[in-house]
Amino acid sequence: MKKFTCVLMCAVLMLSVLSGCGSGGSDRTLKVYSWGEYLDMDLLDEFEEMYDCEVIYETYDSNETMYTKLQSGEEYDILVPSDYMIERLIKEDYLQEVDWSLLTNADGLSEEVLDMPFDPGNQYSVPFFCGTVGIVYDSTVVDEADFDAGWEILRNTKYAGNIYMYDSERDSFMIALKALGYSMNTTDRAEIDEAYEWLINQRDTMNPVYAGDDVIDNMISGNKAMAVVYSGDGAYIMSENENMRYFEPEETNEWQDAMVITKNCEDTELAHAYMNFMLDPDNAYANSLEVGYTTPVTEAYNKLKDGEYAGIDAYTPTMGNPNNEVFEYQDTETKQYFADLWTKVKAY
Amino acid sequence: MRHFTKLARPYIIWAVAIIIIPLLLIVLYSVTTGGNDLVNIQFTLDNFKKIAEPIYLSVFTKSFRLGVITVVICLLLGYTLAYIISKFSEKAQNILILLVTIPMWINTLLRTYAWISLLSDNGIINTMLNKLGFDSVPMMYTDFAVIIGLVSDLLPFMVIPIHTSLCKIDNSLIEAAMDLGADRFHTFWKVTFKLSIPGVLNGIIMTFLLSISTFVIPKLLGGGQYMLIGNLIENQFISVGDWNFGSAISLLLAAVILIAISLMKRADREDTEEE
Repeated sequence: MKKFTCVLMCAVLMLSVLSGCGSGGSDRTLKVYSWGEYLDMDLLDEFEEMYDCEVIYETYDSNETMYTKLQSGEEYDILVPSDYMIERLIKEDYLQEVDWSLLTNADGLSEEVLDMPFDPGNQYSVPFFCGTVGIVYDSTVVDEADFDAGWEILRNTKYAGNIYMYDSERDSFMIALKALGYSMNTTDRAEIDEAYEWLINQRDTMNPVYAGDDVIDNMISGNKAMAVVYSGDGAYIMSENENMRYFEPEETNEWQDAMVITKNCEDTELAHAYMNFMLDPDNAYANSLEVGYTTPVTEAYNKLKDGEYAGIDAYTPTMGNPNNEVFEYQDTETKQYFADLWTKVKAY
Repeated sequence: MRHFTKLARPYIIWAVAIIIIPLLLIVLYSVTTGGNDLVNIQFTLDNFKKIAEPIYLSVFTKSFRLGVITVVICLLLGYTLAYIISKFSEKAQNILILLVTIPMWINTLLRTYAWISLLSDNGIINTMLNKLGFDSVPMMYTDFAVIIGLVSDLLPFMVIPIHTSLCKIDNSLIEAAMDLGADRFHTFWKVTFKLSIPGVLNGIIMTFLLSISTFVIPKLLGGGQYMLIGNLIENQFISVGDWNFGSAISLLLAAVILIAISLMKRADREDTEEE
């Protein structure tokens, strides 16, 4: 009998622990999983107060990290993935459709960012930030004429040991493929192998550092001459260090990060309220000002373009360049092929 | 007594749930392919074959080389420090050991970030060098930065066991050696060092284990291209999403560590038997 009581006690204990992880309590909660350095945290407090709820905000540093976490069974209500990852999540049935009638601020969105090929008709995604990928450089060190080479400047040995690459598989291969004149969405093994050789060659001759978000602080303190960055990080770096300039190659990655609601989300009303809150022109303004990324909310964009970010061209990336591309979904096999090569580039 | 054994039962459930099942899962992942959800799996040894590729082997050798360097530096610094501390009065020793452990109260990440601001190209050290008229020395993203980060992080794990075994040495043994005509060096080498070997081995095991499985310090101080075993595993799990290959590497690492420990333990035993 004693034994039975003991087992029962354990079971009760386990259950109470488990239920603690679930909804628990009467308060409404919203679990948001987004990029690091991607939100003005004051907005979260404001939102929590306005809707009398709790927002659990977690961050990741790459789409792949987010995907792995999701795959391992972690549950979130709102995610902010990029284009190709949204396509993947739609295909793999992770998302639920957005009810645009609940988004009263949606009218303020720029036409240009809507109806993208990864989510035609924006059934699942609400644009959050957009931009391009380029090179932020120290104008006191880099000779601007060298940029005639486009992406190939990243193999100009004049700057050996003086560059940061971006520690992301798709972006690094994007650079190599674009430098070679191929599509960044290629599935042709020969082209991918050639891009791999490009990266290995760059690694050997240039000795680059593959950095993550630490590149922002490093470039603000001017540690190296050049860094591959997302336009928004470029704008932030330029606003903090006036020697920095932004170079946008003629063929680059045109990206968009958008808010999506997962299938697990139960309080969809609150999730929509959150997305609507982020689309509010004042909030979009505050957020974009804080993190430096280009907002798709036209009113906030125009205000920042002529205001705080006047003269900082990284804030106004050239969208719609004919040679630009948006990342597309890769099938598992191609993804695995890239992943293996990327591990090898880094471990070489 | 029966009463107490019953109290341990919840722990058994706990141990099975958080130690044994995950370990079995790692073994299962390492010998299969077919995705992370384990829905349709096929058994294979390809994951282990893949490790034999020269590029991954070089990651292993690099990690071990770095681990050995870190251990040797920790041993030299740690032994000296422990020896000096053990010469103080008991009260002073307590305070000194506390001082050695205080850095461990601060999160590793914070301490590593402190190193970044010290070592970076426009960091504190280089700014001072420039002021004194020297050229800046690139220190970040080199072996030097990673090793200095590891040593500063792991030194307490070397100092504490060595200090403990130095404290246990009976002072009369040292006096006896002196009386019998041994000079200071011989006394140290033949008596003090010999008797402190258990502490030294423990320190070596701990620092070595921690240094070859680390991934945060090399990532921050060595950059994304600084790939050690820990980083390789982290990469496979987090960004690549190939848990099968990641598990195979983890398993191999665990095996290597177990062998290393058992070799050390054997050395320790032989040593005690000799006396």
